Amino acid sequence: MSTTTNKVRLTEIFLTFAKIGLTGFGGGMAIVALVERICVREKNWITSEEFLHGLAFGQILGPFSLNVCTFTGHHLRGIRGGITAAVGFICPSFLLVSLLSWIYFTYHKLPQLQAALKGTNPVIIGLIVVVAFDMGRKQIKNPTGIIMALAAFAASVFLNLNAAWILLGAALWSLCRSYYHRRLVGWPPC
Amino acid sequence: MASLLTIAWIYFRIGLIFVGGGYVLIPLLNHIMVEQYKWLTLRQFLDGLALSQLTPGPLAMLATFTGFRAGGFLGGLIATVFIFTPCVVLMLVIGRNYHRLKNIDIIKNTLDGLLPAVVGLVAAAAWNLGVSSLSGYKEIIILAVGFALFKWTKIAPMFVILGAGIVGLLIN
Repeated sequence: MSTTTNKVRLTEIFLTFAKIGLTGFGGGMAIVALVERICVREKNWITSEEFLHGLAFGQILGPFSLNVCTFTGHHLRGIRGGITAAVGFICPSFLLVSLLSWIYFTYHKLPQLQAALKGTNPVIIGLIVVVAFDMGRKQIKNPTGIIMALAAFAASVFLNLNAAWILLGAALWSLCRSYYHRRLVGWPPC
Repeated sequence: MASLLTIAWIYFRIGLIFVGGGYVLIPLLNHIMVEQYKWLTLRQFLDGLALSQLTPGPLAMLATFTGFRAGGFLGGLIATVFIFTPCVVLMLVIGRNYHRLKNIDIIKNTLDGLLPAVVGLVAAAAWNLGVSSLSGYKEIIILAVGFALFKWTKIAPMFVILGAGIVGLLIN
């Protein structure tokens, strides 16, 4: 299924996704839109429908911006293509962040940098609050969702439980619920 | 400095429970890096968040920053490779079999159902970070202005963060 008639070269895959990685500011959906424009509309590497499937599967684990890159790369050239796309996409940001981390940990005692960072810290917290708000409005659709969000908040703030355990608990609960729901409404035979 | 093997194992495990998008990394990494291993101070963690917002690519590049702190350039490399290994492998497996994956509904329902918990965790991260790092009315005002700009304007986060840096430089 991944053997297209005219094979795209791995170097081209790498360079394309490196370009996306370098220009993809804003994270998440902003990057997905960029990938869609280049791979679906400009290069015709993948159909819009298949791209959307990849996006749906990409929600399961990890950043979906990276996942759609891997999926598209795999569609073009199999496993090697997928890995090439993923590495190409991550490469520019990895090098940039490494460079900035080095500068930061070398010079972070400079009073000027300290002063500037004292200004950015509250803004970052403000950003996280906004994310919580917006995600909440989009993802919490029923009373069960409200209870789950509050329970996760309380478990983290008051009980100081590890976020990983809270996530696992929520996943287990949610799996049981959707399994139960599936048995309740019946399942269209495949 | 932590051994590269420890770093690999820690980030691989984070990669396995990396659900609900990049922001879930904030509570996860804060807990592990700041509270458990004490590789970073809270301030440094927040600075790293600012840094990963200023650069292109997913927020998950926070892994590179924290890994860099734990083990230098190699630490950052190992952290980045291992946190992304699970999701890349999963996408390759899905890519190979996706015509046959018919139980997608149960996966999708489970994921949708667990997203409220991610919301709760992100809110809790804001709460924990705020309570332990904010001091003085000036910082509260900056937070409020930042919140308003992110929430009700379309200014790119990068410029808001850079602006806040300049403000910090001027008033401190």
